[in-house]
Formats: sequence, structure tokens, C-alpha cells
Amino acid sequence: VIRDHFAELVTGLEARLADAGPGEPVARKTFALEAAQLGLRLFSGEAPVAWCGVLAPFDLLHAVGFEPCFVEFVGATLAGNGAAPPLLQLAEAEGADPTSCSFHRTALGAVASGLIPTPEVVIATSAPCTGGLAVVEELARRLRRPLFVLNVPHSRHQAAVEYLAEQLHDLVGFLAEVTGRSLHPGRLREVVELTNRARHAMVEIDRLTRHVPSPARPRDLVNFALVVSLLLGREAGVRVTGAYRDELERRARDRSPGLQGERLRVLWLQNRIQFRSPVEPLLEELGVAVAVDELNPVTWPPIDPEDPFPGFARRMLSTPLVGGLAHRLDHVVRLARGYRVDGAVNPCHWGCRQGSGARGLVDRALREAGFPVLNLEVDCVDQRTFAEGQVRTRIEAFVEMLAERRPARELEA
Amino acid sequence: VTGPLFLGLDVGSLSCDAVLVDRNGRSVAWTVLPTGARVLDTVDRTRREVLELAGVGPAAVAATVATGYGRERVEGRIAAVTEITCHARGITALLPGTDVLVDIGGQDSKAVRLDHSGRVVDFAMNDKCAAGTGRFLEAMARALEVDVPDLGDLDAEARTGLTLSSMCTVFAESEVVSLVASGADVAEIVAGLHRAIAARTQGLVRRVAPQFDGLEVAMSGGVARNRGVVRALAAALGRPVTVPDEPDTVGALGAALIARDRALAADPAP
Repeated sequence: VIRDHFAELVTGLEARLADAGPGEPVARKTFALEAAQLGLRLFSGEAPVAWCGVLAPFDLLHAVGFEPCFVEFVGATLAGNGAAPPLLQLAEAEGADPTSCSFHRTALGAVASGLIPTPEVVIATSAPCTGGLAVVEELARRLRRPLFVLNVPHSRHQAAVEYLAEQLHDLVGFLAEVTGRSLHPGRLREVVELTNRARHAMVEIDRLTRHVPSPARPRDLVNFALVVSLLLGREAGVRVTGAYRDELERRARDRSPGLQGERLRVLWLQNRIQFRSPVEPLLEELGVAVAVDELNPVTWPPIDPEDPFPGFARRMLSTPLVGGLAHRLDHVVRLARGYRVDGAVNPCHWGCRQGSGARGLVDRALREAGFPVLNLEVDCVDQRTFAEGQVRTRIEAFVEMLAERRPARELEA
Repeated sequence: VTGPLFLGLDVGSLSCDAVLVDRNGRSVAWTVLPTGARVLDTVDRTRREVLELAGVGPAAVAATVATGYGRERVEGRIAAVTEITCHARGITALLPGTDVLVDIGGQDSKAVRLDHSGRVVDFAMNDKCAAGTGRFLEAMARALEVDVPDLGDLDAEARTGLTLSSMCTVFAESEVVSLVASGADVAEIVAGLHRAIAARTQGLVRRVAPQFDGLEVAMSGGVARNRGVVRALAAALGRPVTVPDEPDTVGALGAALIARDRALAADPAP
């Protein structure tokens, strides 16, 4: 079912890209096409799949010859198609805690219903959340596949980088031992060079989207960096990031705003809502641009092709959701200032222990820096719990409040 | 009544409220009708009734602003504005200097933090559940077999108040039925209900005003007519809670004033 869905998606997107006229925006379609092709490869039953935690070094796994993917991709994709509710019910019927993260519960439901292709290997990461670690471990147990756990330290010191880099070396050894797939240094160098090229374009994207008004269209960069991480080390990653860079550059040069009539800008915290909801159309209708998503900007330095393992480790440790909260607070305040937003929206994804735990401190840090925060209290995957009227009132009231503040802020400036 | 009038309509889940103000912002007429199942019919009746009370025809209304959950369904409006902004505008007109407004309506409760000029600087709403709202009190009154307006004074003689184990409307209703059946004093049950609502509301207030010492607290919405809830909230906050004369029309008044502000800004002599 999922393979057919991705195949249909690929055919449709290829046709739309072929029909695109000159100057027509194609970056999002290129991105969607590469994501659909990834989905098709994962579910084709032909590629050697590695199901992973979200922080796994996907480019390193490409170099070894795997088709890797994080399990949350399954939850997000199924939610996007409205297919998550029955899988959530199945997972709950099998004992999954209904208050746990629905990205993970959907993945568990997909495993229980046989929708997840059996991988060659399973690679868990102890960060960003222990819920994700538990689900990946469960997946390995149910599918009876070998499991490797990367223990991600909650520190960014050199010792932590070395500790994690050492584990990545061990991972390569483990993969060779259990699957017979080994890493060739020349291939690794090629992959890292592709990663760095994509990274360079992503840094340009970060720079371009700081323009006021933003040249990015409202949904251009939804789920961007998370899904692009699956394309790093491949030509596809270079293609997608390059398409965005070129398109945003052109729009910025032409002073063509992504959202006509942008009057307010917000920072979106953590994840977007994955099912079709009225939230994004409502923001557009109210003239609110999501200027930046917390997880999109590049937080890691280029990776040394001659010695890439410390670079992979640094990238994993640089993620805002890893380690002590002080790092994340600095990150979100820096983004709010750098992208000149009026406020921030936190979906407060139900079941995300990390998001819920951090909510108050993120809220306070942003408010102290002068940025009001709207806590939506939604489940980003489980549409069954979505209360449209309440969410609509909260967003509209927040926008009314920001609009009232705007003249005062402009005077202060 | 002469001169242009400005209409505010607050289409809530339990009541539909209308207020007419003149160009000086003075309230000319107001009315409150139960919303019922046919929202659009109720909006029409409320509009007609408030015009009749003012003794004017529809042509006297220069601008209408709608608020409440049914705000988008009101025809002929110049804008739909959320309850949060409208209640803030209304309470600032009635009780200038209010720092925190608590608005408990039919299915929502909200705490709104205002600055010195009455602008909203923060707000918090109840989560996805209607515990502690007008609907909750209706269900409890039904379980106690008393009228909703009588609930407010039923706890006057209570000594300590009972503690309810759940604020879920369904579970609390059955718990109240059991307590009545077991012979518990109604005054103690009602005091327990009011205290539970106050504790919940205090949590909302804390979200927008972590330190509320010295702040002026006001309450609007239909539940503000319940003196027991107001007393319990004041006790929970350790602050007096001021309630305007017609608390359920504060949102409609704010909407009418916003209609006036916008219409006069667009055309100072309509």
C-alpha cells in the first residue's frame, strides 16, 4: 500500500516538474520528489534498509551502502496521508501508552500491521529522546534484526566528540560483521564532499530566509532539514538544497515575497503538524510568515573528508534537542533575533516528554528576550485529538496581540 | 437615541450577547439570549432585540464586530475579533487599570494579562476540556437538582467544602450524584465544586502572571455571575476579584467598542 502510494507520488511529481514553466517555483516539488523516491526505495523491498534513530549519520550509512531512514518519517508520512489513526489505535490496542509520542506510536502500529519493510539492521540513537530509542529497540526485537545503539552524550566537549566518533567507527565494524557491507575510504570521501556541498547550500538558504519579507513561500521549508538529513551524502541532497538556494536567491533579488502581504513573522518551535490542518492556511490568511523553523538552520561545521568521524559526531551533538537545555534556549533566542520575528509558535506536541519538559523554560527565555510565545497544545500526528475551534481562537488571538504590539516595537526600534 | 450606533455580537456556546454603543462609546442597549442549536436564527433574534431595546432600526448601525466561537458566521460584520481581544477591550472600558482578566464562558476559560493601556500582552486558555466552565456548572446543577443561578449562594453556609476527585464533567457529575445519594450536604458539595474551579483558574492566571501580588484582577463571562466561584477565586488568588455589573456582556461590549474605533478611524464622521 505504502509502496504504491510513493510510486503514485513519484509519477505525479515528475509530471508536475516536467510541466513547470520558466520561473515557476520548483524547489518544493524537487524536495517532495526526492522524499517520495526515498519512500519508494524504502518500501520497494529491494534496497538494504536500515531503520534508525533520528540522529543517525545517514550519509555514513549511504557510504556503507544502506538505504537508511528514521522511524519518525513513517509516522509523519502516514499522518500526512490521514492514515495514522487506525495504526495509532492498533498500537494502543497492543499496549502502547496512548500518552506517548504519536510519531512513535504510529511507527509501532505500522510494525504491528506489517507495513514496515524488514531492515537488514537497526541503529538506535539515545538522543534526542528515550521514547525514540525504545521504539527503535522494539522494532529490532519484533523484526528480529541486529541492533546497534549509539550512545549520544549530553555534552559538546571534545571528549564527547571523541567518544561518539569512536562509536561511529564501531558502528562501521558492526555493519561489516553482521551484514558483510564494508566502508571504502574513497566512497566515504565522495559522500562527505556531497554532504558539504548540500550543507553549503543550506547555509545560503539560512541567509536568504532572513530577508524581510521572507522569500520562502509558506510551506516551502516544512520538515526541510529533518528530511534533507536523509539525502545527505547523495546527489539528491545537493540537488534539493541547490534548487532551494537558487529559487530563494532569485526571489530575494526580485524582492518577491514568499507570502504576499507578510505583516508578521514567527519562529516555529520543534516539529510541524504533519496531518492536514487549518493552521498553516490560517497563518497565511492572517499574513503571518513562519520565518524560520527551529530545526532547519545549520548548526554544524563542514565535515573534514579526510577525517569525517569527528565531524559526524559534532553534527549529532550540535542538534538543539541534544544535551542541556541552555544550548537550545540560546539557539531559539538567537533565531528569534536573527530572523526578526514577532513571536514564536510552540505546537507542544502531546507525548513529547522533551518538548513538554522544556516548554516552560523555552517560553520564559523567549519572553524575556521580548518574543511572545503561543503554546498550541496539539498532537502533531494524531488528528483525532485536534480541536479546531480552540486552535483557531488561540492563533487569531495571538495574531491580534502581535499586531497590537507591532507599532510599539517599531517605535522602540 | 440619535447618531450612528455600533454593534458588538458575542456568539458564545451558551449565550448570544449583543451590545450597542454610541459614537462616544456609551452603552445604549444590551441583551443576552440562549444560543440554542440554531445559531444563525439566534444571532438574528439577538440583533433584532437589541435594536428594539434601543428603539432604532438596522440602518442606525454604522458597524458591527462579531466575537465568540460563532464570530465567523455573523453576516454584515466589518470584522471578526477573538473573545480574548474583545473581553480585554470591554473590561478596560468598564474597569480601567485591570491587570488580569479571567473570562469563564460556556466552554472556555481564559486568563488575559493586560498592560497599562489595556492591550493584551499574554493569554492562556483551558486545554481541550470544558472542566470548570459554564457547561460544567450546568451539569453539576443538574446533578444537584438546583437551578444554575442558585449555585452561587448555595455554598454560603459551607464549613470546609468537599474535595472532588475528578474535574472531568462526566465523572464529576456521577460523583456529585453519588455524594447526594450518600447524604452529603449540598452546601459542602457546591463549595467543593467552586473551590475546584478556582484552583484550575488560578493555574491559568499563574501562566500569564506568575506573581499576582498587587495586580488588579477582574472577571467576566457568564460564570462571573456565580458569586461562589468569584469568592473561591479571590481566596485562591489572595486578591480581590472585581466583577462588572453585566459580566456576560463584556465581550459584546468590547466588540462594539472595536467596531466604533475602526469605523471612526476609517471615517471620523459616519
